[in-house]
Amino acid sequence: MKVTTAHFKATARVELGNARTQRFLQILPLRLSARRNAAYASFADPAAAHAYGQAIRGEGVARLPELLETFEANARANGARVFWAADSQAANAYIVDLARQKGVRYVTKGKSMITEELGLNEALAANGIIPWETDLGEFIAQLLERPPFHIVGPAINIPVEEIRDIFIARGVMATPTTDPVTLGRAARRFLRDKFRDLQMGITGVNIAVAETGTVINVENEGNIRFNKSSPRTLVCVMSLEKVVPGMADALHMLRVLCRSATGQAAGAYLSFDSGPQRQGEKDGPEELHIVILDNGRSAMVRDAHTREVLRCIRCGACLNACPVYGKVGGYPYGWAYSGPMGQVLTPALRGLSDTGDLIRACTLCHRCKTICPAGIDHPATLLYYRYKDVQMDPQFNGRGVSPLERLTYRAYGLIGSHPGLWRLLGRAARRVANRHRRNGAIQRIARWTDGWFSSRDLPLLPRDTFHDRWRQRQAATAGPDKYASPDAAPRRRKG
Amino acid sequence: MTVNDRETILQRLKAAASHPVPPRPLLPPLPEMALDADRLREVFVQRLTEQGGEVHPVANRAALLETLGRILADEQVVRAMAAADKVVAPLDLVSWGRQVGVEIVTPEAYPDRDGYARAVFDDVQAGITGADFAVAESGTLVLVHDTRQARLISLAPVLHIAVVPVDRIVPAYETAVTAIYADGRRPSQVTFITGPSMTADIQATPFKGMHGPQKVIVLLVG
Repeated sequence: MKVTTAHFKATARVELGNARTQRFLQILPLRLSARRNAAYASFADPAAAHAYGQAIRGEGVARLPELLETFEANARANGARVFWAADSQAANAYIVDLARQKGVRYVTKGKSMITEELGLNEALAANGIIPWETDLGEFIAQLLERPPFHIVGPAINIPVEEIRDIFIARGVMATPTTDPVTLGRAARRFLRDKFRDLQMGITGVNIAVAETGTVINVENEGNIRFNKSSPRTLVCVMSLEKVVPGMADALHMLRVLCRSATGQAAGAYLSFDSGPQRQGEKDGPEELHIVILDNGRSAMVRDAHTREVLRCIRCGACLNACPVYGKVGGYPYGWAYSGPMGQVLTPALRGLSDTGDLIRACTLCHRCKTICPAGIDHPATLLYYRYKDVQMDPQFNGRGVSPLERLTYRAYGLIGSHPGLWRLLGRAARRVANRHRRNGAIQRIARWTDGWFSSRDLPLLPRDTFHDRWRQRQAATAGPDKYASPDAAPRRRKG
Repeated sequence: MTVNDRETILQRLKAAASHPVPPRPLLPPLPEMALDADRLREVFVQRLTEQGGEVHPVANRAALLETLGRILADEQVVRAMAAADKVVAPLDLVSWGRQVGVEIVTPEAYPDRDGYARAVFDDVQAGITGADFAVAESGTLVLVHDTRQARLISLAPVLHIAVVPVDRIVPAYETAVTAIYADGRRPSQVTFITGPSMTADIQATPFKGMHGPQKVIVLLVG
């Protein structure tokens, strides 16, 4: 998939001007947030359930290597084949090789952000194997070559007219319609043929259980179950942080995940796979391949801040809580992961060279952190990235700051640490600023301050500073007193 | 041949400075655990109905077959596939179907995989299965897939009919899962089904039967 994180601002501007996007964003995140809150209320003790889930994720990340080895041993004992991929090239090569070896012409896929991260569709297509996304939203997004708008509804913002046109153009249906249900039925019929004759299916993994070697998927449509039941070969791709210690942990995380993502107590289908089909079973894969993907994550573990980002379970609750996502939608984030989830994950996986706007598109309001069922501190992580960026940290490809910015802050530091200079310049600045009064406020000073003034005015600055007024007040009341401003009192110079 | 990066990845993970495992708070309580059998049954029916499932209580085998016949007629099912699981097999639906004029087939009738796939995808309008457990906490059916419970019967046909004896109703997922995975048993697949297949991916318009069944009907026996 094309990475456009570097164009965050440009894409955001387009989306802010897109009336349809804006209409959608006024409804969707609020509705999903409300559903999530209602679903959480069904826990006997919502706060305890939240905290318990966060502890499970924290433990999963803390015990990663050990849990992965246990998972692998048990998955192998179940008959699965486990392949460890250091990066997307290795993972894609393994899957493409497998598809070639099986002689398949096409594969179907369940919705998985991990395969978007891999660019797996492009890799398969480049080798003459057609990948079909089978989640309705992903299917539409794939045909239109769009990134996901929302992790739960990847194409939920796409107008029905556009879906109608692409469905006609690509032969998904013959009779034009703009009825959402009829469009959905057309996709069902089209993909059903693919499922029936399927030789190889590919899914992601929501949770991997170390104790049993089981991979778990959550869905509502049934496409993942088809992917796991119909073909002779199944590939489940998991990022290495998906592992939890035991089945009881997985069950609790499923409760938390379904409530956080869609406000359901349970998705329509939760499927637990332990190895391939057994002797005599009528369906299910003859071969189950589990690809464990690193792709930068083992480096994230070395850093105390980025390590905690690996707790993420991709529920998307933070998108719905985020005031920035709520204005710009999913496209500006420019990769598989949008919203606060993407803002903490993408820079860790891809470095800061193209994600500078991403880490700054945050008001530090802390709503994502509060709602996060995995216990991620998004705002603190973003501040950490900003620091690493300014410090030009080589580990993160930090970009540093422009000479002008550096000069500005050095000058600010100099002025701020010299009271005389501060007062002098303060007085001058007030006079200059007030000269630009218009309609009782300062709306603009110079071209280089337009960024600041683009969304706010500055009230007129009073002639006297606080210190001036304090001195006047002291002079008006009798005599010196112990609260006199240090500026007013005679000072002894050091040295 | 692609190289397996196992050692490199594990080494890198192990090289990271170890840090303490965060302490676990108390496991939050599961209120369903305290319910008696009657209340569990009510909760199961209520939650499944909320999720778009349909529940028909039937007192005994005769009532079950009568209701099944009516449903198949109402839904205009001419051919259905039945699983061979412990709940459905004893009903001998194949012979029953002959008497009432509905063709009931089983996966065993199709010796090869492709023939079975064509039948379950294209030739039947309903899939009839038992359920290993029915979980009250979310109105969920639990199916353990094995030689007697093929996966596609509860998935590919547009109608899924599940026969659930009331004694299969359990309070929470844990009860079912503990029993299923006991003594090192690892079934190839276990599925939790909560209502029909659904989506809201186009303009947030919800509808049932996206890829899987449009209807889930539970015949609650006993």
